[in-house]
Amino acid sequence: MEPLSWTGAFAPLVPVLWTALAAVAILALLRWIAGFFLSEGDTQTQSDGTLAVTRGPLEMLDLATWWALLAALAVVAIFVAGGAALAEGAGILGAMSRRLLPVWIALASTFALSLTFKRRLGLYGKLFDSTIGMIGFALVMFWVFAAFMGAFGLIVTHDPLGQSGAMKNELPGMPYTRMLGEVAEGSYPYYLLGGDNLGRDVFSRMIAGSWVVVQIAPMATAFAFMVGITLGLPAAYKGGRLDELLSFLANLILAFPVILLFYLLVTPEIVETGIPAYMAAVMFLFPIAFIAILLNSRYRTRPALNTPLLIAVIGGLGWVYLSLISERFGPLDILPQALDLFDIPGGILVVFVSVVFVNSPTVFRIVRGLAFDIKTRDYVAAAQTRGEGSWYIMLWEILPNARGPLIVDFCLRVGYTTILLGTLGFFGLGLPPESPDWGSTINDGRKLLAIYPHPAIVPALSLLSLVLGLNLLADGLREESLRD
Amino acid sequence: MSDTPAQADAEETPILEIDHLSISFFTRLREIPAVMDFSVKVMPGEAVGLVGESGCGKSTVALGVMQDLGVNGEIVGGSIRFRGRDLSEMSEAELRDIRGSKIAMIYQEPMASLNPAMKIGRQLMEVPMIHEKVSKSEARARALEVVADVKLPDPERILDAYPHQLSGGQQQRIVIAMALMANPALLILDEPTTALDVTVEAAVIELVRDLGKKYGTSMLFISHNLGLVLETCDRLCVMYSGEAVETGRIEDVFDRMRHPYTQALFRSIPLPGADKNQKPLVAIPGNFPLPHERPPGCNFGPRCDYFEAGRCDAQAIPMFGLDQGDRHETRCLRHDEIDWTRLAIDGVETARTEPGDVVLKVDELQKHYEVAASALLRGGETKVVKANESLSFDARESETLAIVGESGCGKSTFAKVLMGLETATSGAISLRNTPIQNTAIEDRDTATVADVQMVFQNPFDTLNPSMTVGRQIMRALEIFGIGDSDAARRERMLALLDLVKLPREFADRMPRQLSGGQKQRVGIARAFAGDARVVVADEPVSALDVSVQAAVADLLMEIQREQKTTLLFISHDLGIVRYLADRVLVMYLGHVVEIGTTEQVFAPPYHPYTEALLSAVPIADTRVKKKHIVLEGEIPSAMNPPPGCPFQTRCRWKSEVPGNKCETELPPMVTISGGHQVKCHLDRAHLDAMEPVITLAEPSAEPAE
Repeated sequence: MEPLSWTGAFAPLVPVLWTALAAVAILALLRWIAGFFLSEGDTQTQSDGTLAVTRGPLEMLDLATWWALLAALAVVAIFVAGGAALAEGAGILGAMSRRLLPVWIALASTFALSLTFKRRLGLYGKLFDSTIGMIGFALVMFWVFAAFMGAFGLIVTHDPLGQSGAMKNELPGMPYTRMLGEVAEGSYPYYLLGGDNLGRDVFSRMIAGSWVVVQIAPMATAFAFMVGITLGLPAAYKGGRLDELLSFLANLILAFPVILLFYLLVTPEIVETGIPAYMAAVMFLFPIAFIAILLNSRYRTRPALNTPLLIAVIGGLGWVYLSLISERFGPLDILPQALDLFDIPGGILVVFVSVVFVNSPTVFRIVRGLAFDIKTRDYVAAAQTRGEGSWYIMLWEILPNARGPLIVDFCLRVGYTTILLGTLGFFGLGLPPESPDWGSTINDGRKLLAIYPHPAIVPALSLLSLVLGLNLLADGLREESLRD
Repeated sequence: MSDTPAQADAEETPILEIDHLSISFFTRLREIPAVMDFSVKVMPGEAVGLVGESGCGKSTVALGVMQDLGVNGEIVGGSIRFRGRDLSEMSEAELRDIRGSKIAMIYQEPMASLNPAMKIGRQLMEVPMIHEKVSKSEARARALEVVADVKLPDPERILDAYPHQLSGGQQQRIVIAMALMANPALLILDEPTTALDVTVEAAVIELVRDLGKKYGTSMLFISHNLGLVLETCDRLCVMYSGEAVETGRIEDVFDRMRHPYTQALFRSIPLPGADKNQKPLVAIPGNFPLPHERPPGCNFGPRCDYFEAGRCDAQAIPMFGLDQGDRHETRCLRHDEIDWTRLAIDGVETARTEPGDVVLKVDELQKHYEVAASALLRGGETKVVKANESLSFDARESETLAIVGESGCGKSTFAKVLMGLETATSGAISLRNTPIQNTAIEDRDTATVADVQMVFQNPFDTLNPSMTVGRQIMRALEIFGIGDSDAARRERMLALLDLVKLPREFADRMPRQLSGGQKQRVGIARAFAGDARVVVADEPVSALDVSVQAAVADLLMEIQREQKTTLLFISHDLGIVRYLADRVLVMYLGHVVEIGTTEQVFAPPYHPYTEALLSAVPIADTRVKKKHIVLEGEIPSAMNPPPGCPFQTRCRWKSEVPGNKCETELPPMVTISGGHQVKCHLDRAHLDAMEPVITLAEPSAEPAE
């Protein structure tokens, strides 16, 4: 079988794409230079209340740049749509586009639904008023959909861990053989993005790697937020000694070198002492405390509803908590095996703990700062004068009004966490060595980077696009939430 | 107020001539016209007032003059001429030259106009150094002169200070000085005193007026306060919803108004003579139209008593010149049909309620705060802030007791102690004979908490922005243990909305969907949720627009009449205090300096501080003659109060007291007559000889032309 080329039947379009992109660059440069010599056209109001701009040379240049950009985007769109139709006929890009078809469908329907109902969807709907926000959202959702569908075996072409002696360091588009000359019947015929140094499929490992990120990053960030909020609110609201103590602790943690901390946490000697497990036991208490206080402060005036609700919630979450921390033969072997719902691999737990541990002081500081401002508002005074408890005021009067900046920070922080996971994987900390996560993959590919760059470049670009997407999403949310 | 340089100057070129100006803002959804068909002329040396409620476009006019409308704003019609030259035809460089040197603007918030990282002297010297390229020493000399002109003590020291080292009033004087440094031909003042206390405001206004005369500067004075405009301006332009509705000389517009909006505005502000029982205020019905929902024809039509369907809403209404007065114009089709002498139509008289038993008794209340002298070292020396020194009074059932005083006088601290957010240092507060001064709010029983409630000042801050209106009221009901099921509480919540005259649909709205007045009503409903016996209203209407103030104040009075609540009305606005208070308590630096019924406090003999306060309040009535008393100096710090009488540092009567009693002894509370007490060393002869500060001249039938 012939190896696939990058674009297959669409090869004639490639020069068009390069020409269009070059035109964009040259025109933008021209526009910038011309801006020093020429003045902009006048704006005029028309009788129907719209503004009209007279066409000067600058406006013509703007227009030309815009058209060139549109042409480039159109070619990209043809690669994606045509590729989904032609599959291997359109080369590697086409075949990938076909494999990602479920993701395209999911993305398109999400956007169609959201755009239709955007006026009824609050802040989420407003995101679709901002181009930056939409681009970010599309990038993030691409990886989320790819991760979930990949986890259900929809997109991946080969087993991410399966090795092939024949495919070691093969270039993208090579036909798949299990051994030299042996054609594997029934399996996908190509390694779309080539093979790594152990002959594993880079494309499948990229998709599987996104699943690791999507599983850990948002959850770990959410836990960091709960810890930060549960400590930050009282620090700001009560102030005084409590604030001084907690702020000092936060500064202490922030002053500690992060990488060193990770190395310490995963060292077998430290793991044996049980420190990470104990830390997990403490940190995972916060979400339960958070939710219990949240409900109790809200419903304490109605005991008939409050008591059963609290028993149910604390009971349920407590069980999950115990299953989470209790590990057979681990330092905390509390729950009998029969009741233990699930076991988290020790490595993942350590990663989780490290991420929560280094993120929560920053969240603490943000929450504290926001709460300092909001606690001076009259509605907080109104709650005080009707005798509300401190926790009600903190969680129901202050916290909801800090949500805008917190949501934006959450998006950014998921991005940092993704980078952090990459770092941990790169140093081989916590995650198993054969793990397909992007950090480990980059580290594997690094060794032969000069000769075979593709096994490292693919996960690096994936990491970049997801974090970029999260940052753009945060920017879009910030811009739109400020607009009210 | 000086006489207008009227007809004689008619041929002279005006300093500023705005001709049929229209300004729009463009958003993604639509064009929003902010100012429509607006014309005004400012002659040399003339001061023109621009009056209207928030959102009427008065600040947009000012920004238009400065050609600073931002990216979305656009002048869509008409012209702005400065000394005969069209500003929109000038280049960016010419405009830059004019701004700050020929036209200067003074904004509301002084701190926002000053660079906090630069010494005052350098900021002032910059102006002539940039615009006139003068030498450094000359600029410094000019700065010294101007600082002395704005009556700041010790100019050398002020020039070497940073902005944060000055008080708000001093900062605003510096901003004015900075505007004057360039000797501008036109000064635009956008609500220059809104952020200041009344006595400071009076001093700044007097300064502006005197400087206007001295330098011959023309002024465009933007304000929502008709009283201030009366004191500073020669001519007046009333704006409503983007249009000028009436312009003319102050006397013409104030005494012979010819537009229903101007008339309604005057009926809704508490002028001397208004009374909550016999002559209540008349609020303007309805709401201010949103800029993109303006009605066809007359913008004021839907809220006007004289509206005639088919005529007032048929076409756009132009300005009509009037025969009377000097350039007096109105935007009313029916200006010659309406009987302008007729009194308000729907003023409803109510019976005066008699105060009942004593509900709240405050006896020698004292509240001191300890603050660390240095932020770095704890536990060293501490300083004591004496927020409340000795506070004694009682308040009866269904009585309105006004607490008057400027910022820093201790009224908010007293409210905190009363609510239980702080505990007293010494003294007693008893609520129906139960002492509560040392019981913090968490230790009070539900009934006590529900009995003492508060209405807050800032309508935009009083409701939690992320909870529906209904939920917030229901939460208060839950806390006060009212109603045994959610359904019962919801029913009670709807009844409370009825009580404050809000439609029941508002229960499911978010606070941002409500106007300021509506939010304030929700705040009142929340305070009355547990049938409060004592309600502390902390400046409940001062942040609202004039036309809404009357409605909210009357609502409070009505609920009070029904529920026999004791209302503690904290305010610095003596106009509204005179209108609705039964008794008045004047506070200064933590002391009660005067207490008595409203009539007693507003008539001589006064405490010297009350006298100054009364003189400082601007009153929008041309009949009023005020005695002119300007307080010198600043309010002393509560951390370091003067010995003896707290007011002795600013008192103009101090020389009348023999010896140095004022500086050494705290004056005793002297009873003048039935319940009227004054804390002053002045002897009876001097007190009795005091003249009234405010006198009403008989309305002249034919104002002087």
